[in-house]
Amino acid sequence: MLSVANLEKTFHTQAGDVLAVRDVSFVAGTGEMVAIVGPSGSGKSTLLSLLGLLDAPDSGSIDIDGTELGSLSASQRTEFRSRQVGFIFQQFNLIPNLNARENVELILEYANWPKEERSERAEEMLKLVGLDGSKLERRPSRLSGGEQQRVAIARAFAAQPPLILADEPTGSLDRATGQKIVELLRRTATQQNATVLVVTHDDRVAAQADHRFEIEDGRLTEKP
Amino acid sequence: MNALRRGVKNAFRNTIRSVGVIVILAVAIALSISMLIARDAVNTKINSVRATTGNTITVSPKGFYGGFGGGTPLTNADVTKVTALPDVSVVKAALTQRLRSSSTSLVSGVSAGSLGQQFGGGGGGGGFGQSTGTSGSTQTFTLPVTFTGTNSPGDALTGGANGGSTEKLTHGTSFAANSTQDVAIVGTAIASANNLSVGSTFTAWGTTIKVVGIYDAGSTFANNGVLMPLATVQTLSGSTGQVTSIQVVATSVDTVSKVTTEIEHALGSAADVTSQQAQTEAQLAPLNSVKTISTYTLIGAVVAAAIILLLSMLMIVRERRREIGVLKAIGAPNKSVIGQFIAESATFTVLGSIVGFIFGVLLASPITSVLVSSNTSTTTTFGGFGGGFRGAGGFGGGGGGGGSFTPPSGGAAPGGGSFRFGGFHGVSSTLTQVHTSVGVSTLVFAFVAAILIGAIGSAVAVGNIVRIRPAEVLRSE
Repeated sequence: MLSVANLEKTFHTQAGDVLAVRDVSFVAGTGEMVAIVGPSGSGKSTLLSLLGLLDAPDSGSIDIDGTELGSLSASQRTEFRSRQVGFIFQQFNLIPNLNARENVELILEYANWPKEERSERAEEMLKLVGLDGSKLERRPSRLSGGEQQRVAIARAFAAQPPLILADEPTGSLDRATGQKIVELLRRTATQQNATVLVVTHDDRVAAQADHRFEIEDGRLTEKP
Repeated sequence: MNALRRGVKNAFRNTIRSVGVIVILAVAIALSISMLIARDAVNTKINSVRATTGNTITVSPKGFYGGFGGGTPLTNADVTKVTALPDVSVVKAALTQRLRSSSTSLVSGVSAGSLGQQFGGGGGGGGFGQSTGTSGSTQTFTLPVTFTGTNSPGDALTGGANGGSTEKLTHGTSFAANSTQDVAIVGTAIASANNLSVGSTFTAWGTTIKVVGIYDAGSTFANNGVLMPLATVQTLSGSTGQVTSIQVVATSVDTVSKVTTEIEHALGSAADVTSQQAQTEAQLAPLNSVKTISTYTLIGAVVAAAIILLLSMLMIVRERRREIGVLKAIGAPNKSVIGQFIAESATFTVLGSIVGFIFGVLLASPITSVLVSSNTSTTTTFGGFGGGFRGAGGFGGGGGGGGSFTPPSGGAAPGGGSFRFGGFHGVSSTLTQVHTSVGVSTLVFAFVAAILIGAIGSAVAVGNIVRIRPAEVLRSE
């Protein structure tokens, strides 16, 4: 379960202070999918960075499954991220010289999974997202966009994190493939008991979420 | 697949660039290995030449020119001053006298021969030796017998006071360093010519001298001498307290120059102080230049290799900035990412080192030859006789025809009146004969250099990796 309260983040630029996230509070339950929509520059990516512990908030609190993250040091945040947070990016961001299986194994290595279980777990996750056989040994450049995003989803869920953060997961895919990816995300979230937070422009994606929020000028409001 | 294996794999991500980096590294490392081997070879040569030079310093009266004479004798007091100097291990004093048949019952064991007649007995010329006949007529002469008073009979018999290379006592005994007895050790040539054996006697300066030993120095010339206690010769010859040469042995080759200077200061204008070291150092100057060149090139090559790797790794980190951000975002600790890039850097270094080492070893010999031959004269130089004539003959002895005598100039060093057999030092002729070899030190250097290159080459890249913030990288997506 993800609980966010009074989260704020300001960037200090030469042009002046930019309040990117203003007093954001919300709660997302286990197995739920939450969608955040908003235009460019509204604060979506900043909010995602804060929730993914890539950035530290100026104030407010983030609580994942009862762990308050505000007091963690940088190294603790890195360790927490490797075990408790899964990332899915618009551009997939797979490691280009590793094949599909190795890309998934990588996150298991960072999460300190037993060495002998990594390969089996990676194959299990890839099979779960619909990839098997020779595709496991293919590098990202030899996979389609949809297949790459499936590998990214398998990577995000592999270490069984309670929170998955997806930044425009369908942004680089055609509509049909995007729809399949969203369905996969929902299904996998349910199977893995993970909270999925999706940042998107696409109302069709948002419509499939359990909760929908809109962010504008850093302010988050729940949409019906 | 752990970070190290990923790093090794990453090293071949861009094959053309990787090969380029490895080749450039290999060239730099090959150059450094070649220079190291050249430096070691030259250093070994320099040390071997210095070792053959020895640590002996010769002190002779100012202007003294071996058998040609000249100068005022040194004294026992001078010997005492030299003995008291630091870094002096042995001091051998000698007084040399040449006696003709009018002063000794001995005859020379060496005949003058035609050369002796030519140089020594020519009428009207500056002859040497003892001549008979009248001016303008055919003359014959015989070589005088050389008596050497020495305070180091032990050393004298192993190539010391009487010159020669390997004088060995073949019969009888020696005498004490401070002996005042009328005793002598004679060379085999003298013994043979005069039918002497241990216990025999002969006369010199009107005194009966007893033969206590016979030596063999390996050549007729060196065996044509008589060794006696220094004090005895000083007394019998009426040269009390005088010496004609002092040989000083410094504590090591490294202190020869210092001791030479100290002796010069101690004895002032009374003495000529010479050692072969100065001449040897002059001859070694080209090799020292090669050593300097190879040292700087070696350092330059290692630094160049490190800079090449550093720039390559900076470029690679810059290219993969986004990938590093992603790795950090998904939970890679800094040490894992750094380890991956260090492994990549180490792969370049190891491969470059292996290739460079092989080529460096193969090229070391020709490079060394080129360096040495281009820095040294290939002309064989005549190092000169190590000392003047002391033994037989005695240049300058008035021939029957009379005539003044002028010592020759240039060439040989004075040498304090002792003739050094084998004194021809063709050092320069062997300077180019430098042999290269690969020792443990070369392997150790290659290992250390590879680590150094890898460490320097990775250091800045590591700093950049640490500074990359995943949020900033991903925000730019």
